[in-house]
Amino acid sequence: MAEAKPASQKIWLISNDNATMEVDRVVVERSMLLKNMLEDLSHTDITQDNPIPIPNVNEAVLRKVVEWCEHHRNDPVTTPDDESDARKKTTDIEEWDQKFMQVDQEMLFEIILASNFLDIKPLLDVGCKTVANMIKGKSPEEIRKTFNITNDFSAEEEEQIRRENEWAEDR
Amino acid sequence: MYRSGGGGPRARGSILGALKATEMLDSRARLPAEIMVTILNYLPVADQMRCARVSRRLQEMVYDDTRWVSRLKSMGCWDEREARQRFEDAVRRRREAAAAAAASQSADGAGKRNTISSATIFDATVEQQRRQRAASELRDGFETMKIGTGDTAEDPASYLDVFKHVKSVRGGARQEYGKIYKALAPFYFDLVMAKTHTDPIVFKAFVDPEQQAQMLANLHRFAASDWSEGWGHRDSKLTSMMNIFEAAVLREFEQGYEFWDVDGRMHRYAHVLHTLNGAKTGIDLFVQKHPLFSDRDVVHNPMDCLNQAFTDDIVLEPSRRFFETLLAKVNDQASVLERIFPEPAIVFWSLTEKIAEDIVAEYTTPLFDEAHERSISSYLKAVSGIFEQTLRFFQSLTPPKGPEEDLGNRAKQLTLKVFEPHLDLYLQEELDFFTKQAEVEVLQWEKKLSEQDSSLESFYYSNINRSAEKNDFLSSFKKVIMMPVTVLPTFPIGSPFATTKPTPSPAITANGSAVLTPQSSRPQTPGLGNDIQGRGSPMPGAKAPTDELAAKAAIMASKLEGIKSLFSIEVALDLVHKAKGSLGRAAVLIPLGGQAGGEAREQCANIFIALVRILGQRHVKLGFDMAVDHLSHYNPRDVSDHDQKGVAPLVMFIELVNVGDLISQMIEVFYEQQLAAPKIADKNDFLDPAGLAKKKFEQMLDESVAAGLNKGIDVLMDEVEYLQGTLQQPTDYNPIPRAPTDDMNNRQSNRATIGSMAELDIGPTPTARRIVDLVRSHTNMLVGTTEKSMLDVFNGEVGQRLFTAICKHLKRQRISTDGAIKLISDMNLFSDYVRSLRNQDVLPYFAALRELSQIYLIDPSHAKEMATVIADGDRFGGVFRAEEVYEYAQRRADWYQVRRSVERAMYGMDCVVM
Repeated sequence: MAEAKPASQKIWLISNDNATMEVDRVVVERSMLLKNMLEDLSHTDITQDNPIPIPNVNEAVLRKVVEWCEHHRNDPVTTPDDESDARKKTTDIEEWDQKFMQVDQEMLFEIILASNFLDIKPLLDVGCKTVANMIKGKSPEEIRKTFNITNDFSAEEEEQIRRENEWAEDR
Repeated sequence: MYRSGGGGPRARGSILGALKATEMLDSRARLPAEIMVTILNYLPVADQMRCARVSRRLQEMVYDDTRWVSRLKSMGCWDEREARQRFEDAVRRRREAAAAAAASQSADGAGKRNTISSATIFDATVEQQRRQRAASELRDGFETMKIGTGDTAEDPASYLDVFKHVKSVRGGARQEYGKIYKALAPFYFDLVMAKTHTDPIVFKAFVDPEQQAQMLANLHRFAASDWSEGWGHRDSKLTSMMNIFEAAVLREFEQGYEFWDVDGRMHRYAHVLHTLNGAKTGIDLFVQKHPLFSDRDVVHNPMDCLNQAFTDDIVLEPSRRFFETLLAKVNDQASVLERIFPEPAIVFWSLTEKIAEDIVAEYTTPLFDEAHERSISSYLKAVSGIFEQTLRFFQSLTPPKGPEEDLGNRAKQLTLKVFEPHLDLYLQEELDFFTKQAEVEVLQWEKKLSEQDSSLESFYYSNINRSAEKNDFLSSFKKVIMMPVTVLPTFPIGSPFATTKPTPSPAITANGSAVLTPQSSRPQTPGLGNDIQGRGSPMPGAKAPTDELAAKAAIMASKLEGIKSLFSIEVALDLVHKAKGSLGRAAVLIPLGGQAGGEAREQCANIFIALVRILGQRHVKLGFDMAVDHLSHYNPRDVSDHDQKGVAPLVMFIELVNVGDLISQMIEVFYEQQLAAPKIADKNDFLDPAGLAKKKFEQMLDESVAAGLNKGIDVLMDEVEYLQGTLQQPTDYNPIPRAPTDDMNNRQSNRATIGSMAELDIGPTPTARRIVDLVRSHTNMLVGTTEKSMLDVFNGEVGQRLFTAICKHLKRQRISTDGAIKLISDMNLFSDYVRSLRNQDVLPYFAALRELSQIYLIDPSHAKEMATVIADGDRFGGVFRAEEVYEYAQRRADWYQVRRSVERAMYGMDCVVM
């Protein structure tokens, strides 16, 4: 990053359904993937006519992700070090994020996948927490439905596992 | 599921397309494994277990051992080593079993297949049975617990000691965690839900405060493994419950404290607090409210130390009593603590810390402040003395048994804590005090000197055996220096020195010997009291040798009496003693180690540097400069009395060199004993400031000596020339013949005269004798004082200059053949003397001189031979060239008679032709 990068520097992204959008560089840099990429490029490489392609993310999801990044543009960057510590103790989802995540489940999963791909750790965490909250208190069958998982246990096997872990059951 | 409708139209294309579409469907709806794992991480335990029932893949994720190991770790009950040990054992057992099976297989090879199949079947059944049993056991356990929540009385131990039974098994972490969870989670979640502190089942199920404490401690530990959403709230709830409980227990403890119910309530509730959370608050309370801090007995007036002493001094007896009382009280507490607390050592040290802060510091600070105001010297003694007492006090503590601890280190830390605020000031004051004292000392001496300046010249060269005296002196000096560092060095050095002559004052000796017997071997009993007693009384042990030194110094001074040298060994000795006092006081702090110790060490080095600087620059250098000055102003013609054996200023100077050498050796010994031996200065570190200062001092001394000697040689040669000029009679080398024989005809009679003269006196002339005596006495004086190399240079220079002076002198003389005998014997005398200098460089010169003197002996009739001698360069070893020899030949009394024939012989006939 030898060249000076004014806060207003713009970056153009293009979704897999060919929607180009203009985003501030700082906002884009919430994504570790894009940040590292931009560091390797000179700032003149990205123009409106030559945007960064974001494959496997469509316009709606990308807009959602950018919206999140806009809102969190000034958050401190988490370093990999304190990540391992922070992982243990779950923090509550802040209010704005809760509202932000009030989307249909498909969109939620898409956001999670996109944030995973773009390497936006905090967003991924928020997504995962939201999913965790969704399945909290649900029965195995409900969980299967949510995640579209086929049951590969026999009824006896499932009962066996339940008994094994009876200690953890809520009264 | 959202996509199922959308997938329809696309699937129509082809079967392959449909397949692709379904795949896409699946991948869209599903999340990758790593994300699933992350999601699982955010789930509470109960939900994780439900997820395990969803599918095999999820079960695998949930059952993954690391997930549960990390939970066990967070509670501090996972022992990686134990787990590895177990794992290795299991591997070994399995291998052994496999080997045994293989052996049995090969043994009955006939029914091979049968055995195998049966074995598999058998194994499977065993496995099945095991599983069922495990499951039922688990279920049983769970059920007991269910009952137990209502009535735990039947087996409370299983809940209380749940953490003690945890094993670290690889692959079994989930089960182990399950056991803990089963026992504690109900209480935990119940407590979190509870509205008031009376609600939680914990307090109902367990009645004993000990058990309640244990359970709360367990729950607290368990809470560490709860990291699903909302843990913060749960944790604070638990903490507040614990605080309420702790406060209640503490109240009980306090009540017990008020009644001093050591073995009853105090003991009980201290243990409850300990199980709860290490009894931190209990210890604080105990220490804060300890009766020791309001005990009248330990309140001493620190001013006693000052008030009972004379001005500028301090008595450490009251402070010793103070520490003794305190020590007894504190050590009493040790046994009380053992009765109350499960870990008395911790309480003891925190109590001691408070004592150090409140009692010791309260005692010392005003004492130091007051002492500082009254006089610096008593302040310095107070700090050093009290420091040692404090350190001893802390070292003599007898902590209750507990985990092994380094008492010495503790003591140092505590002492450092007490003294930290005073250290900087003290070290600075110590250095300043010493510097000031030393400077005053030197100044006083200088003043005295300038008063005596008029009588400065009156001295004599006392013919004593210098080196023996010096060695004697130095050995006793060493003895004193090697004495153990004393807290309050009271060197009565000043008085014996002031009066110089009197033998060591009998009063002190009597005193010394009287007290010496009981105290000579310093009591090393561990008891504080004893040792302090030995310390408190003025150091008689040090006194005797000090007096010995004083006596030696007095004798030495009296021997060197009259040499009112320009700097004095007494002053040097005095300074060294002052330095030793300061150094001894400051060095007490060094064992503290760390920064304080380092600073103390540095300051010790600084004291030494100051000593060397003052002694060197202010005292010795000045003395040398003055001496050199005296030397340069010396004019032999101004001095009426030349009968003395030496040149006055030079003798004085050489005396100075002697004294300087002695001082230098003193410094060396001091450095070795006081700095190098206790590791204050590193001898091998060439950058060490103390070592550098010492080197600088020695260098300065050498330079001064060299400069002085340079001047000294000038002066010596002036004197030599003066003697030559005044004493040498023109007739010495040119004796008046019996008959006036100035003409050429009288050669015969001349020769006769030689014979008769030789009979009369063939020894060297008195002038030559005087010169040799003069020079020899000076060179001898220097022997053993300075470096050998410098001495060599000096001797060489003396030889050279003497040679030049003789040559010059020779050119002024007129020498007859008769006088040549005298001249030769003079030259022999010089040459002999020079040989005694053992300097190879100058020997050829004097050999040449001897050769040269022979040309005067040649009879005028042998002019030709004379010419050969003159021209023969080898003869003079290259010292004189032919021209020079020719010049000397001109000094022959009969030169004009022989000149022609000599020149003819030298330059051949041409000369005549010309």
